Amino acid sequence: MATDTLKSTPGASGASVIRRLLLDNGALTALIVLVIAMSALSGDFLTTDNLLNVGVQAAVTAILAFGVTFVIVSAGIDLSVGSVAALSATVLAWSATQHGVPVVLAVVLAIATGIAAGLVNGFLIAYGKLPPFIATLAMLSVARGLSLVISQGSPIAFPDSVSHLGDTLGGWLPVPVLVMIVMGLIAAFVLGRTYIGRSMYAIGGNEEAARLSGLRVSKQKLAIYALSGVFAAAAGIVLASRLSSAQPQAADGYELDAIAAVVIGGASLAGGTGKASGTLIGALILAVLRNGLNLLSVSAFWQQVVIGVVIALAVLLDTVRRRSGATPVAAGTGDGKGKQALTYLLAAVVAAAVVGAMSFLHSGSSSATDRKVGLSLSTLNNPFYVQLKAGAQAEAKKLGVDLTVTDAQNDASQQANQLQNFTSSGLGTIIVNPVDSDAVAPAARAVNKSGIPLVAVDRSVNNADTASLVASDNVTGGKLAAKALADKLGGTGTIVVLQGQAGTSAARERGAGFTEGLKAYPGIKVVASQPADWDRTKGLDTMTNLLQAHPDINGVFAQNDEMALGAIKALGSKAGKSVQVVGFDGTPDGLTAVKAGTLYASVAQQPTELGKIAVENALKVAEGKSVEKSVMVPVKVVTKENVAGFTG
Amino acid sequence: MSNDDELLRIEGIRKTFPGVVALDGVDFDLRRGEVHVLLGENGAGKSTLIKMLSGAYRPDGGRILAGGEEVRIHSAQDSAHLGIATIYQEFNLVPDLTVAENIFLGRQPRRLGMIDRKRMEADAAVLLERVGVQVSPRARVRELGIARLQMVEIAKALSLHARVLIMDEPTAVLTSEEVEKLFSIVRQLRADGVGIVFITHHLEEIAAIGDRVTVIRDGKSVGEVPATTPEDELVRLMVGRSIEQQYPRERADAGAALLSVEGLTRDGVFHDISFEVRAGEVVGIAGLVGAGRTEVVRAVFGADPYDQGAVTVSGDLIPKHDVNAAMTAGIGLVPEDRKGQGLVLDQSVEENLGLVTMRAATKGGLVDLKGQRAAAARIAKQLGVRMAGLGQQVRTLSGGNQQKVVIGKWLLADTKVLILDEPTRGIDVGAKVEIYQLINQLTAGGAAVLMISSDLPEVLGMSDRVLVMAQGRIAGELSAEQATQDSVMALAVSTPSTSSTPTRATTAQATTAVEGHRGH
Repeated sequence: MATDTLKSTPGASGASVIRRLLLDNGALTALIVLVIAMSALSGDFLTTDNLLNVGVQAAVTAILAFGVTFVIVSAGIDLSVGSVAALSATVLAWSATQHGVPVVLAVVLAIATGIAAGLVNGFLIAYGKLPPFIATLAMLSVARGLSLVISQGSPIAFPDSVSHLGDTLGGWLPVPVLVMIVMGLIAAFVLGRTYIGRSMYAIGGNEEAARLSGLRVSKQKLAIYALSGVFAAAAGIVLASRLSSAQPQAADGYELDAIAAVVIGGASLAGGTGKASGTLIGALILAVLRNGLNLLSVSAFWQQVVIGVVIALAVLLDTVRRRSGATPVAAGTGDGKGKQALTYLLAAVVAAAVVGAMSFLHSGSSSATDRKVGLSLSTLNNPFYVQLKAGAQAEAKKLGVDLTVTDAQNDASQQANQLQNFTSSGLGTIIVNPVDSDAVAPAARAVNKSGIPLVAVDRSVNNADTASLVASDNVTGGKLAAKALADKLGGTGTIVVLQGQAGTSAARERGAGFTEGLKAYPGIKVVASQPADWDRTKGLDTMTNLLQAHPDINGVFAQNDEMALGAIKALGSKAGKSVQVVGFDGTPDGLTAVKAGTLYASVAQQPTELGKIAVENALKVAEGKSVEKSVMVPVKVVTKENVAGFTG
Repeated sequence: MSNDDELLRIEGIRKTFPGVVALDGVDFDLRRGEVHVLLGENGAGKSTLIKMLSGAYRPDGGRILAGGEEVRIHSAQDSAHLGIATIYQEFNLVPDLTVAENIFLGRQPRRLGMIDRKRMEADAAVLLERVGVQVSPRARVRELGIARLQMVEIAKALSLHARVLIMDEPTAVLTSEEVEKLFSIVRQLRADGVGIVFITHHLEEIAAIGDRVTVIRDGKSVGEVPATTPEDELVRLMVGRSIEQQYPRERADAGAALLSVEGLTRDGVFHDISFEVRAGEVVGIAGLVGAGRTEVVRAVFGADPYDQGAVTVSGDLIPKHDVNAAMTAGIGLVPEDRKGQGLVLDQSVEENLGLVTMRAATKGGLVDLKGQRAAAARIAKQLGVRMAGLGQQVRTLSGGNQQKVVIGKWLLADTKVLILDEPTRGIDVGAKVEIYQLINQLTAGGAAVLMISSDLPEVLGMSDRVLVMAQGRIAGELSAEQATQDSVMALAVSTPSTSSTPTRATTAQATTAVEGHRGH
C-alpha cells in the first residue's frame, strides 16, 4: 500500500535498501530464511526443476489468494473460494465433455459460474446485510454440493485443449506458473491502479467515511466478491487441468490456505491493508514448506505440525516488525537499532527452529538411489492405510530400503505435488496409492517421463504406465459383502447403505459391487443410501438419522469398518441381534467387533500385505527384475467363525 | 525542593515520531487539589504528553516523578497503580455493556465467583449520583448521548479513586449547561484533593475552572502562568503571535438560493424542517445536543432517509437517501465524527483528499493517480496542512490538520453547498481561524455554507443567519443582528409547535424542557 512508510532515508546504500526491504516485509524475510534453510538441508531443493515445481504447487493457492486479497482488503472474508473453484471446474468439464459444448464456451461458462457465486455472496453481504463469514460459509456448502450434484459424485475428464494449461511451455516453463504470474499482475494492477481497487482500501479502512465520500459501497462489494469468484474459477480451471479431470471434491479446505497466504503476506483481517506481492510471498512460503518437507522425508504427521508452526511464526515476525515500526522511532537512534536487532533476533530464532525441527525430523539417508523408494498415500486418516503403511515400512526395514512416506490427505492435487517432489529427489521407485485413479494420471505420466518406475497400490492408475499394480478388488469385495449380508438375512429384509466420501473411487467401486451382488437377492430392499465420508463419527450421526426414518431395518452395509463401527454405536443393543451390520476393510477395530458379534462380517482386505508386496515389487523393479503386472491380494469375508485365524 | 503537595512532576520530556519531534523538553508539574490547564494548539504535543502519563507512549528522554520518586510508566496498569486516570476525547467504553458494567469493567464485585450484579449496580448508582447524571446503571452505553458517556467516564475514574485525573478536552462535546455541571464536579474533586490536568481550547473556561496554566507550543513548554492571565496573553503564548480577530467573518453578497429544504420530516426524529441557503451565505444551525440538527443535515446529504419533504439544489430536486445524487448536485458534508465518518485513518493524506474526486478521476476503470497526487498536493498546500508528506497516515495528524483534510476533499470536488457539522470541535484557536478563513473564501467564491455548531460564540460570530432547532423542529430563525447568546438559548430550550401536529404536549413543558429528547 502506498501509505506503508515514508521514504525518508537519504543516500541509502544498496545494503541498507535491502535491509529496509526485509525489515519492511516480514513475510519476505521469512521466505528467504525458509529457502536458505531448505537449501542447506536438502541438495535437491535448489534446482531449477524443483523451484519450478514449487511454483506450480503454489499456483492454485496463489490464484485463489489473489481473489481473497481483494475481499480481505475491503474488510470482508471469503470462505467459499475452494468450493467455487471446484464448481467452476466441474461446470467446465461437465458442459464440454458430457454435453458437447464448445470448449471456449465451456470456459466462459466456468468463469460465469465463479462470477455468479461471487455475486450471490456480494448480494447477501451488501444488500442482505449478512456477515461475510456466514454468507460465504453458506456458499462454501452450496457450491460444493452443486459440484457433487452436477458430477454425480464422479470426477469428469477435462477437455484436452484446456488440460494443456497444466502442461509446460517449451518443455520447461509450467503454464500454471505463468497463469499465477499473470493473475498476480492483474491483482496488483486492480489493487493499485483501478477505481475498484482503491475503493477496496477505502471501504476496508472506513466503510462509513467511504460511503459519505460518495463511494457506492454496496455496488463495490458486489464487484469485489464477483472478482474473488473470477479468481476462484481461474484457480479451479488450473487445478483441474493439472489433474486432467474435474474433481467434485477438489480444493477442499483451500480457502484456509488462501486466507493464510493473504495474512502471511501482511494483510490485516480488519481490512484496509494488503498487497498482491505479499499474497504471492505468502503462497510461496506455504508451497516451499510442503515441498521441502517432502524432499526431507519428514514424517507425514509431523509435516502438519511444522506447517502450522511456521504459519504462526511468519505472521508473528511480521507483527513484531510492524509494532517496532509503529512505535515511532527516530531514524538512527540507539533505540531504533535495538528494535532492528530484535527483528533480526527473531528471524534467527525462526531459522534455527526451522532448521532444527527439520534435521530432527529428517530421517537422514545416504542409501544408493535404487534402494530409495517413495510412497504417496491417499490418506493416513484411516486405519486401513495406516496398516498399509506399517506393512510397507516393515518390509522396507527388512529389505534395507529407505522408504519415504507422504500423505496426500485425500487431495488429488496435493498428491500430484508430492509425486512431482518425488521425481526431483532421486528415488529408485515411486509407489502411489492414488486419491483418484483418473486424476493421478498427469502426475503419473510426468513420473513415466522422468524414467522412474511407478508402482500402484490399492487403486489403479489410469492412462499412465505402471510397472506393477498391487490391489485388492473393491468390486468383488462389494459383491461378497452383498452375498454375506443377504445370506445372513435369509434373502429378505430392508437394509441401508452407508457410503464413503462422495466422489472417491473406493466408494464408487464398493457401491457398484454391492449393487451388482444384490441383484441375485430380489427380497432385499435398500431403503436408503447416505454418505458418511468414511468417518466413524459421521457414521454414528448418519445412522442415528436414518433410524428415525427407518426404524425397522434388518441390515446395514457400511463401505468401510469405521462407518460400520459408528453405525453399531447408533444401533446400540440392536447391533448383531435384530440388525446385521457388514463392514469393509478388516481393520483391527473392525475385527474386534466381529469377535464381539456386533459386526456380523467385514470384507477384509489385507492392507499390511498390500504394503509389503508393493515395497517388494518396487525394489525388484528398481533392480531391473521382472514383476507381475498385476498382483491381486485376495479379499475375504471375515465372520465370527474364521476371525481367529485371520490377521490383516 | 520537593513539595509534599506535589503529585506529579515531568522534567525535560522528549518524544519523537518518524519525521516529527512531538515533544522536545517539556516541564510540567501537578499539585494536590489544583486544576492545571494544559494549553496549546492542536499538534503542539498535549495529547502526546498525556499519553505518556497514561502509559500509551514511552518517553525517549527526560523523566517523570510521582511523589518525588522517578517512575516508569510502561502500561495502563502502571498508570493505574500510580492513581492516574485519563478521560480521552474518544471514550473507552464498551457500547453493548451496561453503564454499571462499564464503570467496573475488569473489577466487577464478585460473590462466590459470580458477578454481584446487585452490588455493582448499587455502587454505580452512588457514583452516578455523585457525578450528578440521571441515568440508570442498567442502561446500555450504546443508547446514551455523548454528554452522558462523558459522565460515565468520570464516574469510572471516580471508582478508581484516582489521585490524578487527566481530562482531554472534556467540554468539547458538551452544551454550556452540561459544562456547568462538569465544572461543579471538577471543583468537588479539587476540594477532595485530586490533582486535575485539564485540556481545553475554550479560553473562557480557563479562568472559570483553572488554577495554573502551562502553555505548550511546538513540543516545548513555553510558559507557566496563573489562570487569571488575560486571554489575549494566553493566545499570544499559544500561537506565538496575537490573533487579530477570533471570528473573521467577511460577509459576501447573498445570491440566489442554492439549497432549499422544504417540509423535511422523519417521524420521531425531525419534523417539518424548511429553510434555504443562498449563494455566498453562511447559515448556522444552533440548538442543544439531541435537537436533531445532525439528523437533518445527514438527511439533506442523502446519508439517511426521510419520510416527507423535498431537498432541491438550484431548483433541481435531489432524490432522497442517495449520497451520490447529492454530491453530483454539489452538496458536500463534513461530518460530526471526524475519525469515524470523515477519514480513512490508516490511509495517507493523499488518498483521503482524493476520496471524493476518485470517481471523476477514473477513466476506463483506471484512476489517474498522478492527477490525484497533484491535486492533493495543491489543496494541502492551500489549506496549510501540517504534515511530513502526502504519504503520512492521517491517523498521525493532529485534529485540526485532520479536519483540513476532510474539508479539502470537498474543496477538490468543487462543492457548491458545504455542510459543516461541528467543524471546529476539538480544534485549537489558530486552526479554527484558518477554517473560518476557508469558509470566507468559499462564500466569496459563491458557495453556500450550512454550519452546525454547539459553540455559541462561533455560531454568532460566523453566521449570516442562525436557525435554532429544538426537539426536532426549527424553533426560530434569527438574523446576524438579532442573534445573541440569550436569544438563541431562549429558542433552543423552547418547545416549538406547529399546526401540522395538533397533538402536542402541554405548553407547560416549554418552561421546563432543558434537553431535547428524541421521539416521545
